[in-house]
Amino acid sequence: MDAESYTDLVPLIFMGVVFFTVAVGALYWSSKRGQLRDFDKQARTIFTDEEPEGEVSDSFPENNKKL
Amino acid sequence: MPNSYNSSPYSSRSESVRAELSEIDTSIRSAAIFFVISAIGWLMLGTVFALLAAVKSHSPDFAGAFEFLTFGRVRSAHLNAMALGWASNIIFAVGLWIMARLCRAPIQHKGILLIAGIFWNIGLTIGVFGILSGDMTSVEWLEIPRYATPLLAFSYALIGVWGVIAFRFRKGDHVYVSQWYILAALFWFPWLYVVAQVMIIWFPARGVVQSVTNWWFAHNVLGLWFTPMALATAYYLIPKVLGRPIYSYYLSVLGFWSLAIFYNWAGIHHLIGGPIPVWLISAGIVASVMMVIPVIVVGINHHMSIVGMHKQVWRSPTLRFVVFGAISYTLVSIIGSSMALRTVNEITHFTHFTVGHAHHGVYAFFTMIMFGGVYYMMPRLLKCEWPSAGLIKVHFWGCAIGITIMVVALQVGGWIQGMEMKNAEIPFLQVVQNTIPWLKARSVSGLFLTVGHCAFALNFFWMLLAAGTLRAKEGPTLFANKSKEISVG
Repeated sequence: MDAESYTDLVPLIFMGVVFFTVAVGALYWSSKRGQLRDFDKQARTIFTDEEPEGEVSDSFPENNKKL
Repeated sequence: MPNSYNSSPYSSRSESVRAELSEIDTSIRSAAIFFVISAIGWLMLGTVFALLAAVKSHSPDFAGAFEFLTFGRVRSAHLNAMALGWASNIIFAVGLWIMARLCRAPIQHKGILLIAGIFWNIGLTIGVFGILSGDMTSVEWLEIPRYATPLLAFSYALIGVWGVIAFRFRKGDHVYVSQWYILAALFWFPWLYVVAQVMIIWFPARGVVQSVTNWWFAHNVLGLWFTPMALATAYYLIPKVLGRPIYSYYLSVLGFWSLAIFYNWAGIHHLIGGPIPVWLISAGIVASVMMVIPVIVVGINHHMSIVGMHKQVWRSPTLRFVVFGAISYTLVSIIGSSMALRTVNEITHFTHFTVGHAHHGVYAFFTMIMFGGVYYMMPRLLKCEWPSAGLIKVHFWGCAIGITIMVVALQVGGWIQGMEMKNAEIPFLQVVQNTIPWLKARSVSGLFLTVGHCAFALNFFWMLLAAGTLRAKEGPTLFANKSKEISVG
C-alpha cells in the first residue's frame, strides 16, 4: 500500500473516533444522571409486585400442574 | 418450591400493578408473536440451507444438479437467513419486549411496528431469493443484492425506533443494564449496516478499504448487535427467574461500558497477514485482547448470581438455555481473543476452526440465550403454559449436544488442518481430504440441531393454537387453572 493511500482510511478512522466519542459522551451523561450511584437499588429495579424478589418465576410446565 | 401461581405474572395482589405489566405485555403481544413466528420460520429454512451446505462440504455431488443449490449460494443463504431472519427477528421480539417491560412503557401504535416487521421479512425474502438465484454480492455478511437492502434498512429504522421511543417515555430514573445494552445495540446496528452498505456496495471505496470496512461490519454485527442483545436478555432473565438481584451491578455496568468503548476496533483481526497497515491490525489485536475484561466481568457476574441455586437453573427451561449460553459466552470470547494473537492466527486462519468459532458464538451463546428468552416471554404474552415439558427437553438436549459436537469437530479438525497447512511436506489435497471426517461430524451435529429446532417449532405452534382455543373459550385474562384457583381462594 502506498503511503498516500492511507488517506483512504480516513473515513473509517473518523467513524472509529465518532463511535468512541459517542460512547464516552453517553458514559458522561449516565454519570451526570446518577446512573453510576446506588448500585444495589438499581439492580432491584427489575422486580415488581407481580414478579417480586425472592420468588422463582419459571419452571417446567409439569411442575406447575402438581401445585 | 414456591407456589407457581404467585410467582407467575398477572397474579399480583395489586390490581393497578397487574394492569401495568399486563398492559405492557398486551401492547407488544401481536408484534412480538409475529416476530417469533417469522424467526422460527427463518430458523427452519436456515437449518435446511445449513444441512445442505454441511453435506455438500464432504460430498460435493450432493444435489449438485441444481444451480441454485450450489455450495456458494446455499451457504450464503444460510448465513443471511440465520443472521437477519432468525437472529434479528428474535431480537426484535425479545429485545423490544424486555425494553418495554423495563421502561414500564407500553408500545404505542403497535400497527406500525407490525407493518415494519412485515416489510423487514419481505425484504429479506427478496434478498435470500436473490442470493439463491445468483444475484448475491461478493462481500461476506453483505451478500444480499442491492435491490433488497434499502427495504431492509428502511424497515429496520421503523422497528428499531420503538425501542428508542420506549426508552424516551420510560417511567422512573433508573436505567437497568439490559436497557443500556438494548438501546446501544439499536443504535449500533443501523450505523454499521448503512456505513458498510455505502462504503462497499453503493459508493465503493478502494479494495483494501472495502475489506477493512467489511470486517469492521461483520465482526461488529456479532459484537455490537447479537452480543449486547443476548447479554441484555441474560442480565434480565437470570436475576428475574431466580428472584435474586444480579451479584454485582457494578460489574455489569463496567462490562457494558468496556464493550461500548473498546469493541468496535476488534474486527480488524480478521485481516491479520492481509495487505493493510500493520498498525491497524495491531490496534485490532489489542482491542480483541482487551475484550477479555468485559468477558471475565460478565462471566464472574453471571456465575456468582447463580451460585447456590443450581437446582433452580435445572428446573427452569428458561435458565437451562440462558446459562448454557452464558457459559458459552465466556468460552467463545476467550477463544476469540486468543485467536486474534498473531501466532495463534497463523494456524487458525483460513481453516474450519474459524467456522466452529462463529457457530460457537452465534449459536451456543446467542441463540441458546434467545431460546431461553422465548421460553420466558411466550407464557406471559399468551397467558398460557408451554404444552409439553418433554419437547422442551428434546429441544435443549438436541441443541446442546448438536452444537457441542459441531464446535469440537470443527475446532479440533480446523486446528489439525491449520497445522498441516503450515507443513510444506503435506500436499494440499491431502490436507483437504484429512478434514472430511470432521466435516461429516458436523453434518451429524446438524441432525441433532434439526431435531431440537423441530421440537421447538412444534411446541411453539401447539402453544399458539392452544392459547387461541383458550381465549375463544374463556376470554383472555388469566391462565385457565389459575382462574379456578382464584375463584376458590
